[in-house]
Amino acid sequence: MAEVTDSMAHAPISSEKFDLSVEQVSLHFETPNGVLKAVDEVSFGVETGRFVGLVGPSGCGKSSLLLMMAGLQKATFGDIIVEGEPLTGPRPQDVGVIFQESSLLPWKTASENVEFPLALRGVDKAERKQLATDMLKLVGLSGFEDRHPFELSGGMKQRVSIARGFCQDPRILLMDEPFAALDEQTRMTLGDELLRIWEGHRKTVVFVTHSLTEAVYLCDDVIVMSAQPGRILERIEIDLPRPRTYETMATADFGRLRDRIWRLIRGSE
Amino acid sequence: MGRDSCEAPFISPATLRWLFLAVIVVVWELVPRLGLVPSVMLAPASEAMIAGFQDFGTFARALGITFGQLASALIFAYGIGALAGLLLGSVYFLRETLLPIVSSIYAVPLVIVYPLLTAWVGIGPESKVIFGALYGFFPMALSVAAGVQTVDRQYILAARSMGARTSQILFQIMLPASVPSILSGLRIGGAMTAIGVVVAEMMAATGGIGFLITQNRTMFNTAEVYFGIFLVLILTGLLDMFIRLMERCFTNWYPKET
Repeated sequence: MAEVTDSMAHAPISSEKFDLSVEQVSLHFETPNGVLKAVDEVSFGVETGRFVGLVGPSGCGKSSLLLMMAGLQKATFGDIIVEGEPLTGPRPQDVGVIFQESSLLPWKTASENVEFPLALRGVDKAERKQLATDMLKLVGLSGFEDRHPFELSGGMKQRVSIARGFCQDPRILLMDEPFAALDEQTRMTLGDELLRIWEGHRKTVVFVTHSLTEAVYLCDDVIVMSAQPGRILERIEIDLPRPRTYETMATADFGRLRDRIWRLIRGSE
Repeated sequence: MGRDSCEAPFISPATLRWLFLAVIVVVWELVPRLGLVPSVMLAPASEAMIAGFQDFGTFARALGITFGQLASALIFAYGIGALAGLLLGSVYFLRETLLPIVSSIYAVPLVIVYPLLTAWVGIGPESKVIFGALYGFFPMALSVAAGVQTVDRQYILAARSMGARTSQILFQIMLPASVPSILSGLRIGGAMTAIGVVVAEMMAATGGIGFLITQNRTMFNTAEVYFGIFLVLILTGLLDMFIRLMERCFTNWYPKET
């Protein structure tokens, strides 16, 4: 069992300086073999405008944690504080989620998908259409507004998802392995695009991934978790300068950081 | 429905389909004319048409009645069936309690309740509309319920994270996501409703094509009976066109010919 070295993991957190703070959160499931601790007393805070990654072996509860931060899953114990108030359900103006490509609605066009969070809120049709067009342009999909998801490639669908997330315009964007279904090249390109858009909008981001390279490349901090029970092993600050490019990945620092995360994860198994 | 081989067929399937229909009409005409079957059992196509046009007023009135009853029955079967299916498929409690009962009733030959129905509401158009709607309700409700149950959970999670209320999830996610099963409900439910209306007319009625068919049959007016059958075919053909139109309108979002 690896030692918890980061003081942040146990110190009480004052929610004021954070956009999002997870306080002593546990998620337990009753199973025939006893209680399964999917997430066990996890605490961390995410400061405004920071890009925080969540990595760990499968079953470490990172996706469950994300669902709880979105207000889609109730924690067994503990609180998730968003903008100073405990989360009791989805709060779309504060927290948005970018899922994997499968969450695009297949009967809606790219534009209608991007508009959907605004439509739910009752934003005027012409206004939301304009916003969606602008956002699709930002992700490089001008001219594809009226295509349905089945007419788009995997990478394009994910661009639409990203556009939808930013169009919803929450303060905090949670991303649940958004590039997991894509091939390596598309993944790299989309990672760069995401950074470019994020640098323009500076949202607070929590990014769940199983790719260590992706985590180090994109994030300001990487929170490394262990499986069963799902706990935080360490929070590692990625002090690589931005903007990051393909060359960043070839540096010794990059390799050192990725290696450190890898050893942590392997050591916990 | 793709072709089995890459080679272009000798004649196109569409042409072949029309040719097939033409052959049936020719056989219908020739078999009684050649004396292979007595014309009291099978009246030649031309005689059926002549009989129909000689008594055009009666048949037109009957067609109007049946059409009206079928249209009203469809509105109820589709409307109530879709709503019931939506609720049965999406509300856990209803799905566990009522859905098995509804699906058992679907297996019952509902024609057994028709005598009761006529005793309650009489043999006028109301009983046809109710009976037709009852016949179409079950396949419609069951198709929609099946569709709603298989909606991808990701869509619902995503919509909830964007702040969708329960009614928005029901009507903006569950309903459109079930369109393929709703369309199959329209098809099966529509056919069943047509059966319900015509059968009801044949059993006890004061008007409509089913009534005319039965009336003419008892008088051995074979040509008129066949013209009645022909009109029922026209009516179901119209229904089929309506459903195809619906399919074209609502299925532009998934690939054809998969």
